[in-house]
Amino acid sequence: MAFRDGYLSEFVGRPAVLDDGTSRRPVGKVVDFFVDKPDDAFPRIDGVVVRTSEGERFSPVRDVVDVDAHGTIVLRNAPSLAAPGDDRTLYLIKDLFDKQIVDVDGRKVVRINDLEIANTGGTLRVVAADIGIAGLLRRLGINRVAPQLLERVPRTLIAWDNVAPITDANPSQVQLSVSGARLSRLHPSELADIISDLSAQDAARVVKQLDDETAADAFEHLDADVQQSIIEDLGADRAADIIEEMDSDDAADLLGELDEHKRAELLAKIEDRDYADELEDLVEYAPDTAGGLMTTDYVWIYPHRTTNATIAKIREIGPETEFIYYLYVTDDDRKLLGVISLRTLLLALPTAFIHKLMDTDVVSVSTDTSAEDAAATIARYDLLAVPVLDDEGRVLGIVTVDDAIDAIIPEKIANSLPRFVRHHTKKPAVAN
Amino acid sequence: MPTDVGAAATLPGHTPVSRRKRWARSLLFLASILGPGFITASAGNDVGGIFTYSVAGAQFGYKAIWPLVPITVALIVVQEMAARMGTVTGKGLSALIREEFGVRIALLTMLGLFFMNTFTTSAEFAGIASASEIYHISRYISVPLSLLVVFFAVLRVSSKVIERIFVVLSLVYVTYIVSGALAHPDWGRVAHDAFTPSIDTHDPAYIGMLVALIGTTISPYMQFYLQSAIVEKGTRASDLLATRIDVTNGSILAIVVAAFMIIANAATIFVFNQTHGQHPIVVNQASDVAIALAPLAGKFASALFAFGILNAGLFTAAVLPLSTSYLVCEAFGFEAALDRRFREAPVFFTLFAAGLVIGAALVLVPHVPLLQLSIASQVVQGLLLPLELVLMLVIINRARVMGVFRNTLLANAICWTTVVVVGAIALYYTYTQIVAAI
Repeated sequence: MAFRDGYLSEFVGRPAVLDDGTSRRPVGKVVDFFVDKPDDAFPRIDGVVVRTSEGERFSPVRDVVDVDAHGTIVLRNAPSLAAPGDDRTLYLIKDLFDKQIVDVDGRKVVRINDLEIANTGGTLRVVAADIGIAGLLRRLGINRVAPQLLERVPRTLIAWDNVAPITDANPSQVQLSVSGARLSRLHPSELADIISDLSAQDAARVVKQLDDETAADAFEHLDADVQQSIIEDLGADRAADIIEEMDSDDAADLLGELDEHKRAELLAKIEDRDYADELEDLVEYAPDTAGGLMTTDYVWIYPHRTTNATIAKIREIGPETEFIYYLYVTDDDRKLLGVISLRTLLLALPTAFIHKLMDTDVVSVSTDTSAEDAAATIARYDLLAVPVLDDEGRVLGIVTVDDAIDAIIPEKIANSLPRFVRHHTKKPAVAN
Repeated sequence: MPTDVGAAATLPGHTPVSRRKRWARSLLFLASILGPGFITASAGNDVGGIFTYSVAGAQFGYKAIWPLVPITVALIVVQEMAARMGTVTGKGLSALIREEFGVRIALLTMLGLFFMNTFTTSAEFAGIASASEIYHISRYISVPLSLLVVFFAVLRVSSKVIERIFVVLSLVYVTYIVSGALAHPDWGRVAHDAFTPSIDTHDPAYIGMLVALIGTTISPYMQFYLQSAIVEKGTRASDLLATRIDVTNGSILAIVVAAFMIIANAATIFVFNQTHGQHPIVVNQASDVAIALAPLAGKFASALFAFGILNAGLFTAAVLPLSTSYLVCEAFGFEAALDRRFREAPVFFTLFAAGLVIGAALVLVPHVPLLQLSIASQVVQGLLLPLELVLMLVIINRARVMGVFRNTLLANAICWTTVVVVGAIALYYTYTQIVAAI
């Protein structure tokens, strides 16, 4: 294999000649390269596509015996008619050049200008995507006219194992499972930003590659219209799976934006029937009220247990539950008796009873309390969450401080703040 | 769901307190008349458009109307194509050109777009300058001032808000319809001339006017703008019918306003000059065509006209350099968002500022004729239109990109005819200009 390290654009459009041992004759020109296993971290390039006078022909990379100074590719066998591999075969030029990819490290959507290739111990591999000016200039042929100029332009390369390709919508499209795994490394809000930057079709394609949980986390950060358009493309089965993984308040918001027919279809497909019923109830609340904001993902406990027994129980259910910092003490009828913080619980004697420890003077709101008032309540009493009670004093759910903040600082207001000078919020740490 | 640490949970029943607001659906009607097609069509009536239609009516009378009839058909077809491409691919036109034709064609297209849009931006500043000079305010004050206003409006106010203010203020163009009617044009003559094609090939001014009329009505940037707006809105294939209605309505409305601009000018200036051959009204600067609003506004005609071109000028100056910068960045994958800092999106901010500043600077060149500069920018649009249409036609006929939503035979026939006819006129015009120069 005679390839040296370089860029794919240097070979595209170059002539291919056939060397039968005695003489060389031209067979056509190189138009593409292909990869049989695109899911590798640095995929191996398996062959060359040559356009001949009779049409496209394919040659394995091992047939390339020489690449001369002009970039001419010398083949030892005539390229064959048989197209390589299967529908997972990735054509580097056709499928990747000029297309959008996600730069996982830089957390943004970029366009591939060129691909860097390297001869690693006899195999030719894709090692990086060139997304910078240098790549553009090389594509324009500047390297042939003024190579020294190109040398001075700083290169912007992303290592291929930090790239999540979004493959095209053609019928024989390849789904890269590697993309989903790499995208899962991003924080859900960053992933949501990236999804929002993509076209509706590409966004759905990206979500398809994610696991349900990652997709659900990202969904919670997406705008309603983006959510809707993705759900449209995903199909009801997958959409229901994702909704099932979402926090109940976010899931209810999403469902509330859909028309009744679509909502019923999705609810019917949710496997956990209790959860589906709960969502159906939540949808009925106006989004700008405590009812619309509340989540049913809270912990309620009995007053006659000891701290020790309660902590043991929380260990058991904790992994399933988002919010465990306040524990709501209720009777059999779910009437609220008091609240106890995780802190109080941990610091109390192991044998102390909950009803002795709990705070019975509980601040609460009702389902039709406005979002602003609920947020104000949380702020005034320095709470992490406020319970939502019905007329009989039963707990329906809780409004957490983060949802309250989102509700009173909607994106529209945030966007109308001076933007050019607004500092970007610090990126949250990503737990890997 | 609530987690039960105690005994078996029984979910408390409750009554829904309030129903989720569903008024959004009742706004659908409003949204359909203020859809992307409508807004794009309004944006088409920019300063370059107002000047071109005015001068066409003043110089050539009702004979300037007939080109609008075939232009209407072409405009609807072309705008529908752009809307359909945005709907089906979810991508802007510049992204599609990059993905389908590669770096070189994309670069040439973007250079052309930047040049053309910056030239048109200067037409917008020419409108602002003309409006201020009607009130004897020097353009050396008004243009830099509005440059600052536009710059900070774009950076601090959401483009949706700017768009809405503009669309509401665009109602001022209805005054042309009223004024055109009050001028008592010879309606028989209008109807006759509107459907009787006549091209005076020996008059280079007429050919130039024709190119400008085409260029300003089917502005190449409008296709880019509309497609981006469609993508932004997230229109889906199932909404295609509504989108088509929106695009058709917008196109027809834009043409009706354009036709009345021509009629109002023809019925006043052109007719006056026919009857007062010795002392004709010479159209040399923008304030001259304000007379067309006199039948409605009387002595306030100038004020009304100044308001109209100021509104059009400020809006388009705010929109054009910004959308151009977005489009270029979309084609080349550069970071592009207004909420980034300069360091994070240097190309984006540089292109935006360059388009705005160069556009403004062009009208500050001493003794530059504002009216002629504006119309020249529309001529450039007419000259480049066929090239844009060819790119669109190639993409929209690719099954890989458009699937079953490829162009129909009829749309192809109309659009290719437009390419050939506009291309022929553009080449002939270029030829006459070269001959005249030699």
